[in-house]
Amino acid sequence: MTQQHPRLREFKFTLYRIFRNPSAIIGFSLLFIFAGVALFAPQIAPPKYPHNPYLMPHKGFSPTPKPPSQTNIFGTTSGQYDIFYGVVWGTRTAFKIGMFVVGIAAFVGVTLGAVSGYLGGIVDEALMRITDVIWAIPTLVLAMAIIVAFGRGLDKVMIALALVGWRWYVRVIRSEILTLRDQDFVQAAKIMGVSDLKIILRHILPNAIYPVLIMASMDMGSMVITASFLSFVGLGAPKGYADWGQMVALARNYIVGPPGDPLKFWYAIVIPGGCIVLFVLAWNLIGDALRDAFDPKLRRR
Amino acid sequence: MLAFITRRLLLLIFVLFGVSVLLFGILMTFSPERRAATYVTSPQQAKDIPKIIKQFGLDDPFYIQYFRWMKEVLKGNMGWSLVASRPVGEAFWNYFPVTLEMNLFAAPIVIIFGIWLGTLSGIHRDTWIDHTTRILAIVGWSLPTFLFALVLLMIFYGYFQLFSPGVLSDQLTMFIIDNPETFTRFTGMYTIDGILNGRFDITLNALAHLVLPVSTYVIVVVALNMRVMRSGMIEELSKDYVMTAQAKGADKKTIYIKHARRNALLPVVTVAGQLVALSMEGSIAVEVVYNRHGIGWWLAESAVQLDMPVLMCICLFMGVVFVITNLTLDILYAYIDPRIRLN
Amino acid sequence: MAKLLETVDLVTNFYTYEGVVKALNKVSLVVDHGSTFGLVGESGCGKSVTVRSIMRIVQEPGRIEGGKVIVYLDERDKQAGIDLLQQSETYMESLRGDRISMIFQEPNAALNPTLSIGDQVSESFLFHQKKEMCTKIYEDLCAPECQLFYPIKKIQQAVYGMASNNPYAVSLKIMNKVPILKRWQKRLKKEAKKRAIDIIDKLGIPNPAQVVEQYPHNLSGGMKQRIVIAIALACNPVLLIADEATSNLDVTIQAQILELLRRLKEEVISSILLITHDLGVVAETCDRVGVMYAGNLCEVADVKELFGNPLHPYTRALLDAVPKFSVEKELKSIEGNVPNLVTPPPGCRFHPRCPRVMGVCPQTFPEMKEVKKDHMVACYLY
Repeated sequence: MTQQHPRLREFKFTLYRIFRNPSAIIGFSLLFIFAGVALFAPQIAPPKYPHNPYLMPHKGFSPTPKPPSQTNIFGTTSGQYDIFYGVVWGTRTAFKIGMFVVGIAAFVGVTLGAVSGYLGGIVDEALMRITDVIWAIPTLVLAMAIIVAFGRGLDKVMIALALVGWRWYVRVIRSEILTLRDQDFVQAAKIMGVSDLKIILRHILPNAIYPVLIMASMDMGSMVITASFLSFVGLGAPKGYADWGQMVALARNYIVGPPGDPLKFWYAIVIPGGCIVLFVLAWNLIGDALRDAFDPKLRRR
Repeated sequence: MLAFITRRLLLLIFVLFGVSVLLFGILMTFSPERRAATYVTSPQQAKDIPKIIKQFGLDDPFYIQYFRWMKEVLKGNMGWSLVASRPVGEAFWNYFPVTLEMNLFAAPIVIIFGIWLGTLSGIHRDTWIDHTTRILAIVGWSLPTFLFALVLLMIFYGYFQLFSPGVLSDQLTMFIIDNPETFTRFTGMYTIDGILNGRFDITLNALAHLVLPVSTYVIVVVALNMRVMRSGMIEELSKDYVMTAQAKGADKKTIYIKHARRNALLPVVTVAGQLVALSMEGSIAVEVVYNRHGIGWWLAESAVQLDMPVLMCICLFMGVVFVITNLTLDILYAYIDPRIRLN
Repeated sequence: MAKLLETVDLVTNFYTYEGVVKALNKVSLVVDHGSTFGLVGESGCGKSVTVRSIMRIVQEPGRIEGGKVIVYLDERDKQAGIDLLQQSETYMESLRGDRISMIFQEPNAALNPTLSIGDQVSESFLFHQKKEMCTKIYEDLCAPECQLFYPIKKIQQAVYGMASNNPYAVSLKIMNKVPILKRWQKRLKKEAKKRAIDIIDKLGIPNPAQVVEQYPHNLSGGMKQRIVIAIALACNPVLLIADEATSNLDVTIQAQILELLRRLKEEVISSILLITHDLGVVAETCDRVGVMYAGNLCEVADVKELFGNPLHPYTRALLDAVPKFSVEKELKSIEGNVPNLVTPPPGCRFHPRCPRVMGVCPQTFPEMKEVKKDHMVACYLY
């Protein structure tokens, strides 16, 4: 057997594990489609207002949604906003929210967790007490409070979620580091005089990063859910903004159609709602496959 | 044991202090003018804003305002709620039973279903039972609560005209408002009050209004519970003591239930705190969509209308729930796992 | 001597990501009544898999794919062999822990951390001696010196009378599901616990009444191993399988445990199948030895014969690798590594490391041959 670098071999094995799992294949294909739609949004649905493409075009102000037709292939929602346009550009919004929130939260959380776990002592104690306090309030509630303070808007929602989201990463990375810190290879590196920063970056983080990856991919989903709920309540994206949660909010009063045709306006809810579900599902499936692949207790059979 | 509880209660004070400072800090980022504006109801009063700032000391340093507020809270005065148009403390006890009622119905279902499905899935690993439950769990996990609630409403209220939103039907609500002397609200929960007042029609009606909220909630929350139970079972079943039990001649059922499941419950207890947080978030969405006027609805409404005293009150309440839940879970953990002693 | 256990061409494979691990390749061995059989070999050679296959407790993803495991439980009746691989799972459950039992390698992991010692030991009695215990309780209840409130006594007599006829009757099963009625088992559990205390006491553990109330984490490693042995011996098995029972213990405790096993073998159990990688233990305790390499049994002989006249090159290499006081030669190690069992070497699996390899070795697998009386070797040299 040819000798490979152990990390490369491990990586190959992990990839094999991930792609043997049908949920990963579904997840990645869904994600691929969404990414394509987001990338080519200007080509798929040319913006009407080039200076502000996220504003959904609308013809007229009638509050009653209109069914799919030649001009609006997914129909229009309340206020005559084009659902197709909203869905396409909403994909970009979703990626924007997810990437921004998870990126910042993971970066802040991993940095704080690594510092706190590796240094220990007073720094650790202080940081952990602060996280204890923040843990006591559910994400959504704390995010709401922050949005109330900062004012409404999608950007504020994103900032608020990033400010709340890091606490997960701190705990996970810290506990990983606490177990790794006392292991022989880290001790050996320490005795050899490797600097603390280098030990963290070269030896500890690569070994502790898997749970963060799993969590980040699950978080992409749950953060998009939370953001869309905040938009739904009216704290997030303004009316007419291409955001799935906001589109569901627009159609909220039309969940029940006129007597005799109760499901008349299904498209106004189901199409943007379905997009949220599929987007979140994609990330969760990937996260699930990653968890199966990385969990040392469940792998290797 | 007693020392442990005392220490936890001290932690409660610390957490509440931290939460209040944090929240107060967040809300203090408002300019004094904006905070004063919430006291103003008509445009004519706008010129009074500087006066209001002076009167309530809204431009004082942070700590002075904080301690002034703290003093009032300790006296039991949580402020005035715009949304409820009554004092926060009073309004809280009005909204709380609605949320509690829903959670009382949902929690046992979540726990029992989650453990049962997780065990089943872990035992029959990689069979169709496992795959089906896992797919259901991951789909449930991916459903935004508010959206799922809307879709259920669309189908069951719109199409089948079965369950309507709200807490009680309009007729019965009007009846209770009109005849306060015949219907005493002992607990604030209609299902229980109905029985206590001998009005089973009210209980039934309230139960019917609970069907959709509780199912929404269960389907969304049960996934986490199930997943943890499943991986716990798989892990425990691969341990050596399972083989000892097998070699003893234990049958499958004894191994699964007596040996593995008890140990697999430990991680479930660990994440139960998360489950409580999750259900609090879930109840916001459920209450908003089903128009149930409980804590979650109140919070969402207050956030939209910038009702700050309510935000403070609910965050403090969540802090209390958080600490008490964790205390209970630690005791439960020590009860299941003899290796842990509370001291 | 009469045969107790015989495996014929036992094949067990593990289906893993890397491929099919051929862990056992036609293992055939015989354990006699009243003997101690030692199974030696390097780690990973399939010793544990062999005994787990015998007990049919191979864990996923392993599967027993061929061969026979025949037991002759009754010493006198030589024809009444039972092939365990053909039996139902229920039959195996009734056999395990009762007639054949097993001690595991790692005492720290072999006990359930959340159940008390008493619970875990008395389980054996509840599985296998339920009927007997019910009968005994029934007799105690009927005895004139039984001081019990009359109606309760009457009810208990009725229940235990029923249970002593058939402890697995449907009506009792229903009773076990009902919250208050299932308390009838209290007396039964008490009896089982009493027996647990007895057996723990027999193994020389101080304060047995106290120990049964404790949990595994309260006990030391040697103590835990004694408890594991107590569980295995609870129902006086015919065959005790000790899978590296002493490997993870201190040397002094190891000696105590071995001494205990020897004593018990004389008193209670008939035969022991001892698995170890420690040749010293084998020399001290066993009558007959089998040497395993990479899923194959390569040599079986009486212990004196094997140590005095090893035939298989692997056995010789193994013996040369043991330090001896008398000899001042350099210790020899065996060149190379244990082969990967996904792609084992063709023919004799030892041939890549064998110092006396011949042309025929890589081609076909050598059959077991009896070269002397009671001395079998699988090698083309003989």
